[in-house]
Amino acid sequence: MTATPNANPNPKPDPILRLRGIDKSFGAVQVLHDVSFDVHPGEVTALVGDNGAGKSTLVKCIGGIHSFDGGEYWFEGEQVQVHSPREAAALGVEIVYQDLALCDNLDIVQNMFLGREKRRGLVLDDATMEEMAAQTLDGLSVRTVTSIRQQVSSLSGGQRQTVAIAKAVLWNNKVVVLDEPTAALGVAQTAQVLELVRRLADNGLAVVLISHNMNDVFAVSDRIAALYLGRMAAQVSTSNVTYSQVVELITSGRSGDLGLAHTNGATA
Amino acid sequence: MKAGPSQEEIRRHNLGTLLRHVHIGGSMSRAVLAERMGLNRSTILGLVSELGSAGLVREELPRDTGRAGRPSLVVRPESDRVYVLAFDVGVDRLAAARIGLGGVFLDRREIPMAPGRRDAGKVAEILAGSALDMVGTAQHGTYCVGVAAAVRGMVRRPDGLVRAAPHLGWEDEEFGEDLMRRLGLGLPVSVANEASLGALAEHLRGAGTGCQDLVYLHGDIGIGGGVITGGQLLTGDCGYGGEIGHMVVNPRDGRPCGCGAHGCLEAEAGERALLETARRDPTATGREAVRAVVEAADRGDITARAALRDVGDWLGIGVANLVNVLNPRTVVFGGTLREVFLGSAAQIRSRINRLALTSSRENLRLRVGELGDDAVLIGAAELAFSEILVGPLETLARAGA
Ligand SMILES: Nc1ncnc2c1ncn2[C@@H]1O[C@H](COP(=O)(O)OP(=O)(O)OP(=O)(O)O)[C@@H](O)[C@H]1O
Ligand SMILES: [Mg+2]
Ligand SMILES: [Zn+2]
Repeated sequence: MTATPNANPNPKPDPILRLRGIDKSFGAVQVLHDVSFDVHPGEVTALVGDNGAGKSTLVKCIGGIHSFDGGEYWFEGEQVQVHSPREAAALGVEIVYQDLALCDNLDIVQNMFLGREKRRGLVLDDATMEEMAAQTLDGLSVRTVTSIRQQVSSLSGGQRQTVAIAKAVLWNNKVVVLDEPTAALGVAQTAQVLELVRRLADNGLAVVLISHNMNDVFAVSDRIAALYLGRMAAQVSTSNVTYSQVVELITSGRSGDLGLAHTNGATA
Repeated sequence: MKAGPSQEEIRRHNLGTLLRHVHIGGSMSRAVLAERMGLNRSTILGLVSELGSAGLVREELPRDTGRAGRPSLVVRPESDRVYVLAFDVGVDRLAAARIGLGGVFLDRREIPMAPGRRDAGKVAEILAGSALDMVGTAQHGTYCVGVAAAVRGMVRRPDGLVRAAPHLGWEDEEFGEDLMRRLGLGLPVSVANEASLGALAEHLRGAGTGCQDLVYLHGDIGIGGGVITGGQLLTGDCGYGGEIGHMVVNPRDGRPCGCGAHGCLEAEAGERALLETARRDPTATGREAVRAVVEAADRGDITARAALRDVGDWLGIGVANLVNVLNPRTVVFGGTLREVFLGSAAQIRSRINRLALTSSRENLRLRVGELGDDAVLIGAAELAFSEILVGPLETLARAGA
């Protein structure tokens, strides 16, 4: 039997994205406290935490929507400054936000290229865009949309997520962050989106998945990062924790040896 | 002392290997083939032209032109010309397909069937009828090069005798022989266990592509299992290996199993256990019934949740054992276990993490099958293709080309 390209039995890639000591306040309210966060290529990192724990805020800092008050942003081993979505995009970081920004009155292809050609200084003709969109969906083995010229308003929730995710990978991004992509979906559609999430990571991307559903988290993630009241309680390998440990981390910030030393104090 | 392989043997081997590359990997350029096979380009050119003149591959421009530069030709399997027949004797359906080189479905028939005992001769008759119908509509100048059938039961190796298929009430059925006679194509019919074929399919074309160590769990009326280890399907001494559904996980006070034992994985985590624990209507079975439980649990139904937790627990225990014994890279949940996995992944993974050895589980991936309900049929097709991928020209000559 010949060796296959991905035969490395024990891939432990360095993090592509590394945050250190991130603080973020909105006015007088500090939402993120000294948060560290690592994201690895080829892996799905699940970001979990209770409502209001700071997940979306952290992700918006990663995506350059919010600038943070203190801390370091490292990308591919170098410290960088990210003050706008444009700068994040330039690094190859793409966020698919909780409230998906797709235009209902445009078709799939138009949505996938919306606001992007200009950003990358490209002018593309219709046929090329159509082909690139089709190839991206094809490469992700997306077989659920019948026509890429379909209006987005006619798509199901799962298909909309699929298009949003495909849009995120169309531009050879390196890090894709998905904020609750399965929240509004039924079981069958969730399965489709999770498969897509897994495939992105298997294709070498670093994927961050925010989810409240522990089955989703345990089904696809390689690592789990748990935020508790704006602090990173723990970042653990999915093959080393149990459901109840993760639930404890989410609800009380600690579980046995894992997590914050004092739930009201500094990180362990 | 055995002499080394002859030139002829080497060539035959290379032809088979090249054909396998394009059959599994799809169209690729000669340069890519040269690299993957570790042969120089002129050897590849010779092999491609030999396969080309036999009508097994064709060279053409790639589909996605429009890129800068001169596109190089790709070698493509001749899916319309060379095909196999694949059969799946399911629980509630019989399926037959005509599948072209490269794994393309050219034609398929499905015959719904009420679950229960079935005369093996009758099943063979129905399948042969559908198959001959499909063969009849195939274009002139196309060749059937292999036939294989999947059965939910114990299949003896190498002769394919079906020792037992309990849900059909079969015992010692010469199903393959019978099917071969009825087809009258002059081709032997390979018979194999359905989950073994599912494992093969997911390994070659699905969630386990590129993964050499994989365990496949297939849920329908029971739980079937297939194991790929070191890239090879585990068969055991007589072909009965991989009966994961009958791995005993709860012998002391477990549920009775169809096999006569107590506490088999299938008895604890199979469809019946799930539907009973979830207190569903006992007449509703199959995929829809299982999905309904997962959906109910998702909406917060406490009984459904408890049932999935229970079943997930047993599945986790079963998989933990497999992880310790086989150290798979990937465990694939197929058939109705796909839904069950999505509804109880937290439970399954937690159990594995508590029970399996750290080194054995640290790179473990749990996946759902990518091929859906077609996994078994695709696996049967791959079994049927195995001969032409070993000796392409000889097999084609035998098929009358
Ligand atoms: N723009 C803002 N101005 C003021 N406060 C904000 C702003 N955005 C978020 N917050 C507050 O920051 C905290 C963290 O919110 P965030 O949206 O990050 O939580 P989350 O973990 O994503 O929660 P959920 O699971 O509900 O999506 C909350 O208390 C929220 O009210
Ligand atoms: Mg949020
Ligand atoms: Zn049994």
